[in-house]
Amino acid sequence: MTMNKMKLTGFETSSPGDAPLISVRDLHVRFATPKGQVHAVRGVGFDLGKERLGIVGESGSGKSQTGRALLRLTAGNGSIEASRMMFDGKDLMQASAKTMRSIRGSRISMIMQDPKYSLNPVLTVGKQIAESCRRHENVSRAEARRRALAMLETVRIREPEKVYSLYPHQVSGGMGQRIMIAMMLITNPQVMIADEPTSALDVTVQMQVLSLLDDMVRERGMGLVLISHDLNLVSSFCDRVLVMYGGRIMESLDAKNLDQAQHPYTRGLLNCLPRLDGKHDDLPVLRRDPAWLTEGDEVREGGAT
Amino acid sequence: MIEIEDFSITFGSGKNQIRAVRNFKLSVAEGESYGLVGESGSGKSTVLRAMVGINSHWDGTIRVAGEALTHKRSVESRKHMQMVFQDPYGSLHPRRTLDDTLSEPLVIHGLENREERILKILKEVGLGPEFRFRYPHQLSGGQRQRVAIARALILEPRVILLDEPTSALDVSVQAEILNLLSALRKAHGLTYIMVSHDLAVVGHLCSRIAVMNRGEIVEEITEDQMRSGEVTHAYTKQLWTASQGYDRAALETFQEFA
Repeated sequence: MTMNKMKLTGFETSSPGDAPLISVRDLHVRFATPKGQVHAVRGVGFDLGKERLGIVGESGSGKSQTGRALLRLTAGNGSIEASRMMFDGKDLMQASAKTMRSIRGSRISMIMQDPKYSLNPVLTVGKQIAESCRRHENVSRAEARRRALAMLETVRIREPEKVYSLYPHQVSGGMGQRIMIAMMLITNPQVMIADEPTSALDVTVQMQVLSLLDDMVRERGMGLVLISHDLNLVSSFCDRVLVMYGGRIMESLDAKNLDQAQHPYTRGLLNCLPRLDGKHDDLPVLRRDPAWLTEGDEVREGGAT
Repeated sequence: MIEIEDFSITFGSGKNQIRAVRNFKLSVAEGESYGLVGESGSGKSTVLRAMVGINSHWDGTIRVAGEALTHKRSVESRKHMQMVFQDPYGSLHPRRTLDDTLSEPLVIHGLENREERILKILKEVGLGPEFRFRYPHQLSGGQRQRVAIARALILEPRVILLDEPTSALDVSVQAEILNLLSALRKAHGLTYIMVSHDLAVVGHLCSRIAVMNRGEIVEEITEDQMRSGEVTHAYTKQLWTASQGYDRAALETFQEFA
């Protein structure tokens, strides 16, 4: 297979003129478990500009752990290692816990998959949004409330005053996810990591939530990492896609060229999706090649500086 | 095979009353595969739960193979209709081996030759005899869903109700399960009613599809209409468009259907 290093690791950005917001090289995440070490992320590297970057893969491919490692949200038994992890000129590998706290939620935010579990059930949603604002900026209670209400309006919630005083169990899934987005956007972050933000939502609501994120990238020049298992969604929404398998990046490509993917894993994933315009024949089943888990090693070792 | 008429389900009373399903009717021929699609809260799963007897608060008539179902179901009447649930992580007992899980329906219905039946059904769903004494936590999501299908199939039912059978699975595993389901239907002449929010999955497995919104069927479409997108109702059109992937221009035209 003729796959060069550039292609494997996805270092190219869509806008080469700008310095990347986030630059990661050779990221490893390992977990110590009673059954031995689990090597969840194996040498992932990418640059994120002011763009929509999609990370797709199946469960266990390490896509979520890649996102979490950026914010150092890896679980206690995990260790992160990287030759480079820069955010806006700061080395995140060297950053103290205090620096990380000031970055987390204020300059890099993360949207989790299920709003039901990520919102505090005993606080009204408005309070939670205002809290996120007060935690990171020195603003008065009244000001935080005003901004929270404005933010609820930005995420297209029709009656912000009414929703402000609702508890999480009183809102629908789609609205909960918009509230999460409002909470994450109120600090005006430069980078947003969205881990399966729409997979618990209906398709039409999914579109609305994505369009909000789209606006943020276009209007505020935010960088977005969208982690998803849904190839169709990522290819239609993102600018660039990284395909992960077994903790490695199999392939990096422009989203619009996803149908021309070269790697057999990407091709296999695309083929086994039932298609709306497809026939009733049996779906081709993905055959996994153990070589995918080792390929590129020699390239990386050969190209190491 | 299945006929449902004047069917409705209501929860609660007074001002908290929710009419989950209204004016529902359905007719499925033997050996047919019928799909129900809709967004959350459209009542699609509620219909299945009433048919299988989990929810007995329904009004109207359900006829299976010409016989009307009563609200209080006899054990024998349950045998012919089995259900596969959405989440294989939640639907299998974590402290029972597959052998226990698969024996239970046989014990309830007093069927003999248990060992033989269990080994046969495991083979049919693509699991070897070595799986027989394993626990669910030793299996992957796809293998668990195969066990759930085996549990439904072991009573040799004529109708299988599928409630989002692949939505908790990876796409590569989803393909395997969908292939298994269509192979089993061919081999046993089963009748399927499948509920899903994924139009592509329903379109793949089913020949006729009912689109539900807020407890009512808005439109019944054929698989060909599903492929071409030539649907008449605006709600179906919107759902179909949304399933094509992210499209900013199309989003502007979306509306609420109450």
